[in-house]
Amino acid sequence: MATKTFTGNSWLSILASKKDLPWLTIWIAGLGVLWIWDALFLNAPAFARLQIAFLNSLFTGVMVVLFSLVLGWFVGVSLHMLEHSKSKVGFAVISFVTDILRSIPQIITVLIGYVVLTILLHNGIIRSSFVQMLWIAGIIAIAVFLEVADTIRQRIDYFRTLDFVDAMLCCGIKERRIINVEILWKNSRSHMLHKLIAIFGISIFLQCSIDFIISVGLSTDVSLINFPMTLGNLLANVDSKQDILALSNLFTEPGYLPVIFVRHLQGLSVAFCIVFSLLCIYMIANGFVRRHKLA
Amino acid sequence: MSALSGILRKENSGLRTRLLVHGAGIILMAAVFWVFISAVEVLRIESRESDKEIQKYLNLNKIDFGDPLDRTLFREALDIFYNGQTQRNDSVLTAIDNLRQRQFSDPDYKTGEKQSGLTWNMVKRLSGMFLQFIAVYGIVLIIIYLLAQRIAVYRFIKMKQHRESYLTQALDLINNARANQLGLISWSVVRKSVFLFMKALVKGMLLMLLFSPAYVIAYAVKTTIDTSSILFMILLGIISNGVLIHTANKFFTFLVAESRKGYVQTAVVKNLHASYEWNAPEGIPLRTLLNIKHGFRSHVFQPIFFNARFQFIPALKEHASFLVTGLIIIEMALNIQGHFCYELLQQILYKQYDIAAVIIFCIFLTVKATEIAIDIWEHKEKRKYGY
Repeated sequence: MATKTFTGNSWLSILASKKDLPWLTIWIAGLGVLWIWDALFLNAPAFARLQIAFLNSLFTGVMVVLFSLVLGWFVGVSLHMLEHSKSKVGFAVISFVTDILRSIPQIITVLIGYVVLTILLHNGIIRSSFVQMLWIAGIIAIAVFLEVADTIRQRIDYFRTLDFVDAMLCCGIKERRIINVEILWKNSRSHMLHKLIAIFGISIFLQCSIDFIISVGLSTDVSLINFPMTLGNLLANVDSKQDILALSNLFTEPGYLPVIFVRHLQGLSVAFCIVFSLLCIYMIANGFVRRHKLA
Repeated sequence: MSALSGILRKENSGLRTRLLVHGAGIILMAAVFWVFISAVEVLRIESRESDKEIQKYLNLNKIDFGDPLDRTLFREALDIFYNGQTQRNDSVLTAIDNLRQRQFSDPDYKTGEKQSGLTWNMVKRLSGMFLQFIAVYGIVLIIIYLLAQRIAVYRFIKMKQHRESYLTQALDLINNARANQLGLISWSVVRKSVFLFMKALVKGMLLMLLFSPAYVIAYAVKTTIDTSSILFMILLGIISNGVLIHTANKFFTFLVAESRKGYVQTAVVKNLHASYEWNAPEGIPLRTLLNIKHGFRSHVFQPIFFNARFQFIPALKEHASFLVTGLIIIEMALNIQGHFCYELLQQILYKQYDIAAVIIFCIFLTVKATEIAIDIWEHKEKRKYGY
């Protein structure tokens, strides 16, 4: 029996007990299988485009997470400090601005950012793809960072109800250190990480959607080649759209299924990348909550 | 009694403050958009005046501005008339080139339709589209609210039944069979496992559908279904973009958090039904999923449900905003003419920024109106429970 626990399924049971790790494994494995399949059956230029698009989307998503963390941390802590300061004017102003930002649907904020980006591209102010991606990440971060700020405020408020904060204040520890180090860094990392995973998912969704919309709706104004290749604008590509349209054939001709995985691979791969990633990121976030008992 | 009235007074003033903040937000945004629209109008008038001036030169029959010789002659003529004003003359020639280029490439000139900005006709057209947008949004929001609660309740009860996922069940089945039968797996185990794997696959496909962005689903069925109908839009609004699953997940989180509170154990001790088996004598009838508000009487789940629902109401605000995002994506990505958000994209394309600003302001108003309605609803619920 002892041998059995150390071999065979022991690593599987460890993985299953972690809740979020199985989904991380499924995500990586799923994308790996897709990569091998595409390497075998997808034409080389499309395969190269798909890889670049995926990496660009991933990079932008990671940058959104970083920007959101910095912005959310700054605004969350600032709001808390201002709320407990003598003058409430600063608190009222920032709360008012964040309240307005909350009422603007995220996609509108991102769309406005893209319109400004097209103007900057048109006037030659921004040229490099890297800066464009940073700009896009910054805009998406503005649309989503309030979730981080809210989590930060909730955590600080929760700890303020405990003796924890008062005891530390009595010990002469500065409030700034208590909030930033003791509460947020030492005692809220799991909560923050969970929020950041969720933001990563939202950023992938917003990025793909806005790139698709821009490519479909505004492509006559700014050429598609001006924008860095992402999963969204690769999906909006005519070839990809036709591949997705081909799925309709399955309703009338189920026998067409095997053909789809070989002949309509570009669109199908992009769509799979987007949908599968969104599903897995959601599952990872949920598993993370269960593993760390955050709910 | 006086303490309760004190709390209610405080709560009333809290609602008043929130309404005031919403009102101030609307007024500020209206002012910002009004300034923006006015600025766009001023720029448009200036641009028209300047175009008129340049058009005078283009109307000269004997000069072909595409011919380098004519251009040089024209430039020399300018230098004679405006001697020493080199920069001015260069600007005139550049402006002529710009106007000629726009006459070839600008959608205004291409369509032959004069884009005259925000006119009464445009306002009337937008009003109709906006009403349609609100109707779709309202229907989708209500359906998602009702569906999300049911999905969350179902998931919660399944969790309480300690049911593993289909995939885990299948793996357990195989592991147990291997352990008991020294590595040999019987045919019935294989059949059961395959069935469980199939169920897991179907569940996975369903989940992928719920997480699919609307444009992926729409393009996949475009040649089979009329994707421009309102009904299809409502359906997409509900099932796509992950809105339903995220809203259900939020409610589920509240249910789990509530179920861990001390009063639940007290209720169990006080003999409230606590079995989560479907249709068991002290369990939960499956049909209560259709009537979740009144279906859990004398069961410990009832207070859990109501307390979770109470916390869910304010959380609906962020989901409403996300839902609007989803609907905007659907209308824009599907390119359905005559829809509010498609119009927004078109106006941005034609650089009619004043009309685009009006559309964005209307969307902002929709979200604000939802927030106000939810705040009032929350306030009423608080009063009902004596907060």
